[in-house]
Order: sequence, then structure tokens, then C-alpha cells
Amino acid sequence: MYVLGLSCYYHDSCAVLLKDGVVVAAAQEERFNRDKYSPVFPIQAVNYCFQEAGITIYDVDEVAFYEKMFLKFERSMLSHILGYPFTLRNFIDTVPLWLKDRLAVPYYVEEELRFKKPLWFVKHHLSHASSSFFASPFPRAAFLTVDGVGEYACASWGVAEGSSITLRKELHYPHSLGLLYSIVTAYLGYRVFSGEGKVMALAELGEPTYLDQFRRIVDIRDDGSFSLNLDYFAFNRGDKMHNRRFEALFGPARQENAELDDRHRAIACSLQRITEEILLKMARHVHKQTGEEYLCLAGGVFLNVTANSRIRNETPFRDVFIQPSAGDAGAALGAAAYVSHTMLGVPRAAPLRSCALGGQYTTRQIEVVLRNKRTKYRTVDPAALVDEIADRLAAGKVVGWFQGRMEFGPRALGNRSILAHPGSPDVKERLNLVIKHREPYRPFAASVLREHVEDWFEGIGDSPFMLEVGRLRVDKQGRIPAVTHANQTSRIQTLTREENGIYYDLVAAFHARTGLPMVLNTSFNEDEPIVRTPAEALRCYEESGMDCLVMENLLIER
Amino acid sequence: MTAPICVRCVLPHAPPDILLDAEGVCNICRNFEAEERAAASDDRGLLETDFLKILDKHRGKQEYDCLCMLSGGKDSTAALYYVKEKYKLNPLVFTFNQGFVPEEHLASAQKTVDKLKVDWIYFQTPFMKDMFRKIVQTRSKVVICGICSLWYMLKTYEIAAQFNVPIIISGWTKGQTTGSSRSVLSKCACDQNPDEFKAMTAATKDFMEKHVKTDPKYKDFPMSMADVMQTAKTKYKSKAVVLSPHWFVPGGPEEYVPVIQEKLGWDYPERSYPKKSTNCDLNFVASKLAVKNFGYSHYHIEMSNMIRLGVVTREEALEHLKMDYGEEVLGDILAKLDSRGMV
Repeated sequence: MYVLGLSCYYHDSCAVLLKDGVVVAAAQEERFNRDKYSPVFPIQAVNYCFQEAGITIYDVDEVAFYEKMFLKFERSMLSHILGYPFTLRNFIDTVPLWLKDRLAVPYYVEEELRFKKPLWFVKHHLSHASSSFFASPFPRAAFLTVDGVGEYACASWGVAEGSSITLRKELHYPHSLGLLYSIVTAYLGYRVFSGEGKVMALAELGEPTYLDQFRRIVDIRDDGSFSLNLDYFAFNRGDKMHNRRFEALFGPARQENAELDDRHRAIACSLQRITEEILLKMARHVHKQTGEEYLCLAGGVFLNVTANSRIRNETPFRDVFIQPSAGDAGAALGAAAYVSHTMLGVPRAAPLRSCALGGQYTTRQIEVVLRNKRTKYRTVDPAALVDEIADRLAAGKVVGWFQGRMEFGPRALGNRSILAHPGSPDVKERLNLVIKHREPYRPFAASVLREHVEDWFEGIGDSPFMLEVGRLRVDKQGRIPAVTHANQTSRIQTLTREENGIYYDLVAAFHARTGLPMVLNTSFNEDEPIVRTPAEALRCYEESGMDCLVMENLLIER
Repeated sequence: MTAPICVRCVLPHAPPDILLDAEGVCNICRNFEAEERAAASDDRGLLETDFLKILDKHRGKQEYDCLCMLSGGKDSTAALYYVKEKYKLNPLVFTFNQGFVPEEHLASAQKTVDKLKVDWIYFQTPFMKDMFRKIVQTRSKVVICGICSLWYMLKTYEIAAQFNVPIIISGWTKGQTTGSSRSVLSKCACDQNPDEFKAMTAATKDFMEKHVKTDPKYKDFPMSMADVMQTAKTKYKSKAVVLSPHWFVPGGPEEYVPVIQEKLGWDYPERSYPKKSTNCDLNFVASKLAVKNFGYSHYHIEMSNMIRLGVVTREEALEHLKMDYGEEVLGDILAKLDSRGMV
């Protein structure tokens, strides 16, 4: 049985195809249309999924959408009505979007895909919960979902067992942690969706001196539920979602690209601490209420790696699973999984062990691109490849690494990655300024051999999807500056031979040469969506300062 | 002295239509590059779902959903296979033989229709033989395949009209269409007239005026592809569109040849030009003459498109286009046209 899951019309539009409950293919539309966080109907991603499975829409049994659009419309309209007349301008801007796209999902599915059966509309947070629980290894678990906003819910928790998922509580709009984070992100001069990670990085450079101010705008209760003080916000009232009172409390908003100062860093730090406090309280409350041993997390807020690690380490749960594509792209997977398992009774499949769910290119296909672009390359024997690249990494070279299927979700996990020496003192600056063209303070992640992770870091175990941080052990401090943040933590992906194949071998070979069981791993892109095709990888390589590019076993050098 | 070849594709410097710049890149490649750069950000190219949208408009409305042109080669065989098995249409199949299609190709077509259990029209005629003979003997520059395809397409439209079939499915490769996805969908590939065909089109027009228009036997013969389409529209009342599934899916023969080999027992023929094709015997003569007259053949144009689209490498294309078949092959074919030794 094939079930197609879709998300679109807000951000991270995506298609996911399940066969008998197992994910066959998944990809975000941004990878195809090259528009970061693209919200459009994911037609190219759908086509990819079908081609990967060798099917057409005629073979698809059900189509699931990641939220209930009419409920969301109702909430949106109510919000506009309640804020009238201040919301009028936003109302006028928003209504055409609703009428043209957001309420027309069934029309587009029939028109674009020729799927004529009724669709399944799964509640947004139920989609998130399903995306995590059904991908987890747990037979039963509690779940917690937190994001910007779905229909009404901005957070939810409940319990799941076997094929059943039960929502127990929801926290409703406008009291949203995701929105709060985005509002402060915009206030600090960053773009919503792409800027939250920058704020999280900035947070570790500051002191939490604005906690009192945050407590005036967020009333946090013991169970983790909270209320935003709406006197400080301007939902649906213009371009900004904070108001003058907010600026009176925190100071003037930072303009994009303006100089960062201690106040900005302190605000970011305070926001991060408040976020962690809320999430920890929520998780502890969920544990208390459910008594479950395991916790599944999903929703865009759980891309916050620092908070994730604190949940793992500071709550009573025995184990925590975080959906690797925690944002709305993952919700497409959740919707499809919910329909498959819960509604149609398809037995649960093996847990999701890999995010390599996107397209793959053969050596021949890569060679066609290279030859027709008249690019010089060398075919390297696969057995010798890891040694040759490990030598280069050990010598401080920056390597574009393009292998196997593209990753699903926001992280590059060694299939579309840029790799470098984590111990090199200048590589961070070189990568940030010359290759990735991004803020100099932003840290890079490390891909670490699983068996060595505890030797180097505290507070981390398995982290195959790079969703948690570890604290560098005191005796190791200063040895891996390129992947160590100001607070001595590193964002970590753990590698095993079984799951990571040649990438594991490469890091092992690097370990043998340097004594460091890890490499620096950052996404293969340059202010654009992660590369998908060999041609995109080649262009990115040529336009950046990478030293060499490896695509399968083909090596391109400068 | 042979003309220099574009460093990106396989087209030679052939003024006034194909010109290589200082970097050795032809104007066709430069235009393609500019078009790619200027392509609207929402131009997503042709997708399989677009193809299904067209098929679904007509599915089940007539006895046959489509008319499949089948030569017995890999591209048309795969197109038919996908139409029947993947897109679940009921096709009528049409094979055209102007007298030069080898038995081996016909046997392959027969095997395919038998395996797929589809209805098949086989049309054989010596009608064009005199015209082919005249092309060779008058040393006209006209490309034989261009003339032949006019007749083939006219018959195809006629049959499509006869059975009220709304869609004609060809096995044309990605290299056999040019222009944007929008223009291909709105006009169909028959209606393309790119720069690299200009010299050949002019030669066709010249031959038609001098030798066909004046010959009573060919009084109804179409003068151009535009003429074919006009006749289809006015005389046959056919609104059929011509599409190829190959335009809508990524990849090329390396993906679909193994499928038809496994499912239909298809295999490459012993001889055909270019290599790894299944073209009729006249192609040996037609291509040789085209290269002699223009410096390149219609297959050089197709292969160049395939290179630009990333389906084949330039080296592979050059290898496929090598004219290293023996003189006896050419001699045998020319003998059928009473023209041995004339090429």
C-alpha cells in the first residue's frame, strides 16, 4: 500500500512516499526549485518520490495532508476579526493566499496529480507526533510537539502505543514558543525560518541578563504551559510581530546586517534560556502525567539542539527520540504514517535509521555532467578513496563530499556535506567567510565515530541525526576549535559503520591519521538549499573555496 | 580539411547557421546556455505528472487511448511499454515501413506487440522509393529522413483520425525536441524549427519545389511538417497531439533499455546507424549524405541536444556517430535504389 504525504503553502513544502508503512522516498521542494524553505505545492518532490518507487499516482492508495486547512483558516480569520481594525491590512494580504492556495489543496492534488479519491487531513500536531513516534524505536512512548502554530495548537503532548496516538493536551495560539522564538529572531535582525539557528548560536556568546524582561512577556507555569503577554506583541498587525512596548522593554530592534552588540547577544541568550526552561518543564510534566519511559519529540522548535540535549539529560525519560526532520517537512511524513498505521492498520515498520531518502546519482550520471562541463576528474578506487580524502582532510583541505542518496531534513549527514579538519584553528573562519559566506560566530558540527563520542564529550550518546550537543571534556578542550562553540559544546552527529558506510570509513581513516575521531561537517551549500544534483555540487564547488570535490568515487581537484 | 567541432557538443563550424566562437563553442550551445540562465524560476521543466495530466484528459474516451509509433527500436519500444504497463492506457500501435526497415527490426516490433497484447497496424509501401532514388541520383542536399518523416507523420495522423485517437505517442528522445517545456506542450515537437535545422529545411524546400511538386505521383505529398499538420487538421480533422514519455522522465536509455530487455526480451539490432540505435537502413545513406552536404547530420543535432541535456557525454556521442561501417553496407542499400556507387 502506497501513501503519499504532503506539506505545503507555509514553508518547507515536501513530499514523502510510504510503501506498507516504510518510507521509500522523501524530499523537500526547495531542493528542486532552489528556493530555500519553498512553500509551493511540492510537485517536483512528488515526481521524484514516484520515480524513486517506480510508480505513478495510479499506484497510490491514499494521500495525506499535514494539517486541517479549514480549522487553520478559522483560527486565522478569528484572529483577524478579534484584532480588527488593526489587522485589516494583513487580512487583505492574507485572504488571497487562502483562497488561491491554502484552501484549494484538494483541487491542486486532483489537478496536478490526478488523484481523485478524498484526501486525509491530519491535524498538524498529530502529524508531528506521528512523524516522531512511528519513526522511533519505541513500542510505546509519550510525545511532545512544539512549533510556531498548526491549526490552533502551538504545542501538544500525549501518548502513543503500537499504532495508536492519543493527544492529551494542546496549548493554543497565540501562546506559542515557536512564534516567540521567531519574533525575537526577527527583532534581532534575522530572517524568520533561516535565522533561528543563528540566534541559537548567538545565544552562547551572551549572558542571560534579560531574563526578567522575558518573564514580563511570558508567564511560565510549572507544567510548562505559558501565556504570552499580548501587550507586547502585534500579531497580524503589520510586518513586525512585536510592538513599541516590546522595544521599550528590550531596546530598539536590530536592523538586518547591523553590528551585533552585547545587548543583542544577551537577548538571544535569555531567549534561549527561557526556551529551555519551558521545554524542560513541559517534558517533566509530560513524564509526570504519563509515566512513560520514552519520549518522542517533533515540531520545528526541536531543531534547537541545546534544548534537545537538556531534555535528554535533565528529564527522567530513559530515552528520547527526536524526529530528524522536526519541522513541517517531517509533518508530511507524520501525516502519511498516521494514515498508514493508525487509520489503515498497516503494521509499524522498523524505526527510521537513516535520513538518506532523497535521490541518488550513478557514477555514470556524474561523469556525464563532469565530461560535458569539461571538468577534469580522476576515478579513484573505492578502497583507496577514503585514504586519499582522509590525507587531504588531515592536511587541512576542505572537501566537498557528495555520496549516495540526498538527506531528508535540514541536516547534511555525510551525503551532501562539506568536510574539514576539526582541529584546524583557522578553518572555521575560512569556511564561514570564504566558503559558506555566513556569520563568523556560527559554529560547525562534528561527525564523530560513535564508539569515541563519550571519550570526547559529556552528556551525549547516540545522535545519528545531529540534533543534540555534547560538552567537550575538559582534557580535550582546545583540540577541536573548528567545531567547539564558545560554551565548549559541539553539535554532534554520531556515526556507525552499519548506518554510515563509507562516511564512517572516511572518519575512521581520518582518526587513524590525526587521533581525532571526527571531522567537521557542514551542509553542502552556499546560502541556498543543500545541493541535490552533481551539477549543483560542481557549481557550488567552483564558486566557493573548497579544495576538492568527491562525487561517489570521482575526485575533482583545483 | 574537416571543420572544427564545438568543444561542448558535436556540431561542426558550418556557416551561416552554426558558428564557433573564439572558445570553440557553437552558437547553439551559447543560445542554450542563455536560455537556461534566463529560464523563469518557476519553469520546472516537463514532469511525469504533466504527462499524466494530458493522458488523463483523454483516457477511456475512445476505443484506443493513444496511437503508439513503433519502429522496434529501444526508444519507441520503451515508450509503448510505459504507456501500456505504467500509464495503463489502451494503445493502438502503428509501424511504418517504407521498404528499408530490416526484418530484424520488424521482428522486434512483432515480439513487442505480441508480448504486450496490443492491437497493431503494420503499414508497408514502396510509394517513396522513386523519391529516394531521385534524391540520390540528383545529388540533392535534402535529408532523406526529413522527407520520409513527412510521409510517416501524415500516415500517423491519418490513422489517428481514422480511429479517433487523441494522442500520438512517439519514442522521440529528449534530443529530438527543442524549446521550452511550454512550447513543447503547446505545439508538440513536430512544430519546432530551430536554427541548426535551417540549412536542411531549405534543402527540403528546394527539392520539393524542383522534384516533388512537379511529379504527378506525389501530387498529394506534404511539402513540410507544417503542411503535414495543416492536412491533419483540415483534411483528417485530427486534433491529436504528439508526445513522448521520454521528455517527461529523468534519465535516458541506461534506465529504460534494461527494463525492455528484461520485460520484452528486446535487444540491440546487429547493425544500425548511429550505433546503439534501431533506425532503418536508409539512415546509413541519409547520414552519409547529410555529413557530406552540411558537415553534420540530423543525428548530430539530436546528440548535441542530448549532451546539453546531460543524457550522454560528448565522447559517447562522437563514438555513436562514427561512420565506420563498411562500404558494402552502403553498397547494398544503394543497390536497392539502383544507385550503387553514387554516394
